Formats: sequence, C-alpha cells, structure tokens
Amino acid sequence: MLDDQAIRGLLLRAAARDEGSAAAFQRLYEASAPRLLGVALRILGRRELAEEVLHDAFVRIWDAARGFDPLAERPFAWMAAIVRHRAIDLRASHDVSRVDSYHDAPLDADPDGSLERLVEPGPGADQAAERNRAARWLRECLGRLPAFERQSLVLAYEHGLSHRELAAHLQKPLGTVKAWVRRGMASLRTCVEAHLGDAP
Amino acid sequence: MRIGSSPLLDALCGEYVLGTLRGPARRRLARARREEPQVAARLRYWEETFMPEYTTRFDVAPSKRTWRALERELGLARYRPAWYRRAGFWRNWALGATFALALAVGLRTPGPESPQAPAWRPIAQLSAAGGGAPGVTAGLSADGGTLELRAARPVLAGSAQSYELWLLPAGGGAPVSLAVLGSLDARVALAPGRRPGLRAGAKLAVSVEPAGGSPTGAPTGPVILVGEVGNIS
Repeated sequence: MLDDQAIRGLLLRAAARDEGSAAAFQRLYEASAPRLLGVALRILGRRELAEEVLHDAFVRIWDAARGFDPLAERPFAWMAAIVRHRAIDLRASHDVSRVDSYHDAPLDADPDGSLERLVEPGPGADQAAERNRAARWLRECLGRLPAFERQSLVLAYEHGLSHRELAAHLQKPLGTVKAWVRRGMASLRTCVEAHLGDAP
Repeated sequence: MRIGSSPLLDALCGEYVLGTLRGPARRRLARARREEPQVAARLRYWEETFMPEYTTRFDVAPSKRTWRALERELGLARYRPAWYRRAGFWRNWALGATFALALAVGLRTPGPESPQAPAWRPIAQLSAAGGGAPGVTAGLSADGGTLELRAARPVLAGSAQSYELWLLPAGGGAPVSLAVLGSLDARVALAPGRRPGLRAGAKLAVSVEPAGGSPTGAPTGPVILVGEVGNIS
C-alpha cells in the first residue's frame, strides 16, 4: 500500500491544484495516514495529540507538495519527517512523560525489540521497503551498532525520547547517553554511506 | 554564524532527524533550513537516507473527523471536478430535458409582455447541449441589479419541481444559487455581492430541483441549460 512510486504520483497530482487534486490528496491520505498516525502516536502517547499532529502535518503536506522534489526516492520518508518534527515539537511543548502509557508500545517490555518493530521486515512489512536500498542499509547498519548505541537510537526514533529521557529510561548518566547517540549516529552514517556508495 | 558552514552541520542534521536535538538548537536549525539553502539540502539528504521505514505494525486508523476537518480547512472542494462534469451527472440529463420539453408543449401560452420592461443587454445564451429544452437568453438590466431570463418558449416547472438558476464562478468553485424559479421566464434581483461574479468566463446553469429548490445548496437534479457569460452569438 505504501508504495513510494504511488505516493510520488499522488503528491504531484495534488500539487497540480486542478480538479483531480482533491481526489489524489484523499487517496494519499487514505494510504498513508494510518502509518503516520502510528508514528505520531508512538512519540506522543496520546491519541488526541497524535490526531492533531496528523492534521497539521497534512496541511503542511498539501502546501509543501508544490515544492516537493519529484526526484526524491522516498516520498513517504519526506512525509514521515514532517510528522515526526511536528510530533517532537509538540512533545517538547507538552509535558509528555507518558511513553509507557500507549498500550501497544510498552517501552519497558523489550527495548531492543523496538528495532524489529521499527524496521525489521516482518510478515506484514511492505515490499516497497525491501526494494529501497537506503531503508535496507539503515536497518542493516542499525543492527550492527553496539547494543547501547542501537537501543538509544531506536528509542529516540520510535518514541521521540530526548537525551534526558533516554538517560532516565536507561538509567545512565546524561553525558554517557549523549555520547552514545552522537557516536551511534556517526557510525550509522559511515556504515550507510559506505554501502550506498554515493554519499554526496 | 551561519549553520551551513559549520563543521557540526551533519551532526546537527543527524540529531534533528533522530529527534534528540531539542530546544533553541532545534529551532535554530529549523530556521536555518528556511534561510540557508545549504542547510535545507543537507537536511533533505539526512531525512531521505536516515528516516526509518516504519512497518505496518505502526498503523492506527485515524478518526473520520480528522479527514473531514482537513477537507474543510484546505477547501478541497475547489479541486474536485465541477459538478456538471462528474461521472453520472449527465445520465439523468436527458430525462430532465425531455420533461422540460413536455411541459413546454403542454403550456404553450404567450408570455405576458411586461409594459415597463427595463432596457437590458443579453449576457449569456443558455442552451441544452443535446437539444430538447428551449434556449434561454439571460440579460442584465441597465443598472445591473436585475438578471432577466427570456425563454424561446414559455416553460413552467411542474408542481413537484422547481428550476434553480446557478452561477458557476469564472475561477471554478462551487456553484452559487441565484434563484429558485417556477418558470424560465423570470426576473431575478441580484444582490450587489453577486454582480461581480457575472463576468466573462463564469457560467449560468439551470437545474431541475424538487419544489422549493435544491435541498442541499448544490445542484441535485439534472442540468437542463448551461451557457457562458459573455458568449453571445
């Protein structure tokens, strides 16, 4: 369903602002809103806030579609970035100390399992994701990181945890956690770019 | 200092995409993205490459309200096909046109000439694409305050029906109801706010509606006549 080719086509059709644009935008919403709502919900933990983020993100997507780069390989990642930024901003402005409250994603149950929830191709994973090299190497390279670095990155990716929240959750000093995140992202970049071979 | 030339640019982008960059640093980078093309390009690269591919396990169905609010707020109705071009719309058209013709034949009485008819100038010729319904000429009074319809033959709506006159705005958009009519010979007082809309490129259309007019505020019945303003032959 979340085929990047299809999403690109729908975005461009919406950007045309003609009489087919509303139908294209509606199909784009129907195809991607459930996944994007899930992304926001993992970060915010509260349904009403997540729906608000979804709404604001789609307003932004409608406006920004006209400037969308038709050559971008991962239009869904572009949309997910808009949702995540908005959700993280909202999380920072609310007192969202409720990562554990969302029943489907108990943070303490299996922190390392989050990697699988996040990126591992399960039986329900999209074929399109498999075809995408960047996504495949991101998953591969995350898996190669030392356990604490991987855990920190996955928790931040999935739940939008800040350095401070990571430190509290992992019960480690703030400075240690910051170093994990910094080193983890640097290693992730080196690994992904080495495999993609076309780092700009 | 410009963030675009900072040696920390990639580290900042990485933590921005991850979400651990917070507070003033996050806001500074978001602003730099709008102001510095180099930062925008770098962030795009990071998002494109380092945004995880979320699995179906994330999916949560949004409430119907969220889409409805979006549709309203973005005015998406403007970007749908005009109602008279939608599939299925013309399906009922012939029926309406035939019905109007039957009425016309049955009620072939001379229209009363109004002795004090004001000077008017025709602005649109309304006709039925498939023939059937008689043509109607629409004209404006000299002061622009009255829209007058003159039918080639007198046509009255049946007792269970009304005609409704619609303005289709020049730039596209939802049809605006101008009047509910019992006859295709009619004078319609134009609200001052409606007059600018009657410019070249706009269209006038007549649909057949339940008695009293469209229950929804949009045309629901077959369109029997349509014509473009300024297109007088």
